Amino acid sequence: MAEIRLEAVTKNFGDTTAVANVDLTVRDGEFVVLLGPTGAGKTTTLRLIAGLEKPDEGRLFIGGRDAAPLSPAERDVAFVFQQYSLYPHLSVYENLAFPLRSPVRRRDEATIRKTVERVASMLRIEKKLQNRATRLSGGEMQRVAIGRALVRSPSIYLMDEPLSSLDAKLRSDMRLELQHIQRDLGATMLYVTHDQIEAMTMATRIGVLDHGRLVQVGTPREIYEAPRNVYVATRLGMPSINLLPAAAFAGQPMPPGAATIGARTEHVVVGRTTQGRSAAAKVDWIEHLGDQNHLHLSLGEHKLVTLVDPDMALSVGDAVDLSLKGALYFGADGERIAA
Amino acid sequence: MPDIEAIADRAASATPHGVAKVVRGLSDRSIAWLFVAPTMVLLLAINIFPLIWTVYLSFTNFASNRPNRPVVNVGLKWYQDILSSPEIWAAMQATAHFVFWTILFQTLIGFSLAYLIDRKFRGHAFWTTIILIPMMLSPAVVGNFWKFLYQPQIGLFNYVVSFFTGIPPSSFEMLGSVTLAPWAIVIVDTWMWTPYVMLICLAGLRSIPDYILEAAEVDRASRWQQFWSITLPMALPFIMLAVLFRGIENFKMFDMVMLLTGGGPGSTTELASIALKRQAFEAYRTGYSSAFAIILFVVVFGLANVYVKALNKVKQR
Repeated sequence: MAEIRLEAVTKNFGDTTAVANVDLTVRDGEFVVLLGPTGAGKTTTLRLIAGLEKPDEGRLFIGGRDAAPLSPAERDVAFVFQQYSLYPHLSVYENLAFPLRSPVRRRDEATIRKTVERVASMLRIEKKLQNRATRLSGGEMQRVAIGRALVRSPSIYLMDEPLSSLDAKLRSDMRLELQHIQRDLGATMLYVTHDQIEAMTMATRIGVLDHGRLVQVGTPREIYEAPRNVYVATRLGMPSINLLPAAAFAGQPMPPGAATIGARTEHVVVGRTTQGRSAAAKVDWIEHLGDQNHLHLSLGEHKLVTLVDPDMALSVGDAVDLSLKGALYFGADGERIAA
Repeated sequence: MPDIEAIADRAASATPHGVAKVVRGLSDRSIAWLFVAPTMVLLLAINIFPLIWTVYLSFTNFASNRPNRPVVNVGLKWYQDILSSPEIWAAMQATAHFVFWTILFQTLIGFSLAYLIDRKFRGHAFWTTIILIPMMLSPAVVGNFWKFLYQPQIGLFNYVVSFFTGIPPSSFEMLGSVTLAPWAIVIVDTWMWTPYVMLICLAGLRSIPDYILEAAEVDRASRWQQFWSITLPMALPFIMLAVLFRGIENFKMFDMVMLLTGGGPGSTTELASIALKRQAFEAYRTGYSSAFAIILFVVVFGLANVYVKALNKVKQR
């Protein structure tokens, strides 16, 4: 296991900057998740670490060693590709055994068999070992791809959206599974996703990327509760944070300079009676989720979505009163202002 | 967008009354047959019928230069004659030699070229085009052209060989020597058709996604291992397809070799199709050559079938 350190790493593809001046340290045994939408530079960051791309600027250290002169093989990383990258002409068993047959790691057949079977049962694909890699369901393929990383004991695991093509049930199972595996192996893992639930549940720390720049790095709690700016705030939270101009809640006390209010559902208190510092809103739509209701409201010309108890008797068109409790405030430049 | 129904109405009103009446009485199925019929008739007339007729002729003493002679059924005589004829076996052997070596060289060189040209380097499109030129020439042109190259006194081929080996250029005759002539036609066919094999292999190599090779690289596979366990097996169906195409083509090779050597010296380069042409249109033994054609057909068809089964097995993986 090893630590990864990126120092001011930049990568351009023609005119577009995929990764801009990124500083990031993934400590030994840490599970770091890079979060960001498509095109934020998440995959490129992984590929730079794996050695599949060369940085234009900056330095990269793996286990304290400068990685620049090292080939992908010498870096000893395991990479789970988003497109599975299974070897289509080989069986599942051969796919899993492939990394173990590498000349630098030549193991005898009995050891290979034992390792492959252990990983296959961990991922519950032991019945599929003799199948062709292409004769599997999407979920099985993805598990084989993860398995191919697990059969080795690399210094780092790099995972590029490995759960993106699984159905919801399997995804939540695999989330737990991956966390257990990571903890049991004490593995250093850098994991890329655009799924905020994966980021929140699995990460020791989250790094939020925006157009190649690393905007904020912190524990899931820090990122959620103290986002540096509007962009980071909108990455987390379901339903997503409501952004309203400060004027919409004119009566509320606000830090000086606040231009935008970021109100997560837990910051919005919905009441039926007017209590001094509140604003009047109208119920536009109610979505019943079972344990909770999504409440779509309009406050003047602004729309917001929040969660309420299902037993709160409301119907479309009702007038409600809104007040804020511990909301986030952002200045005109989008940066957060501490309340 | 024009109104479809309006067009249909116009077409209906323009159809002559008699035709309309007949068509209205037809089922969809019979209309479908009507549309397919011209192709079927054509296929029967120029493909199926001649084949059946050849089978019939192969049992007779018919000769196309003596159409008025009474046709006698000779049974399996021609088949017996052919299968016990040393000339025919020599022709079959020459063909096997030609097919085997051309395929071997073309596949090895073609795949190697494809592997080299698959790496992106400056001007690789230009070089691909250059390499493809021989394939675009007519076999007749190639045959005549190489006749000059092989000329012992003024030919470039002999000169180049002498330049590298020191053997005097006029000391050997590629086309005139019994031992060299079979190799001379292999060289020309390889020169001409390697680009074609390269093109198919290139398609195979391009079909391997980058991320598969990247995965192998991250999995610490050596270059050698990447080639043997990823690149080659994944390109194999394409290579096999190229071998199939070249095999069938060269089994019936006629034009290039006919112009280059005319089957000689002696009958050393008399391939099956050249022997067949001699029997059919020089000796006018139509029945005999029909039987020979049928034998060739069965051989090619059988081999190709076995091969396609193997190919499908590889492709299914």
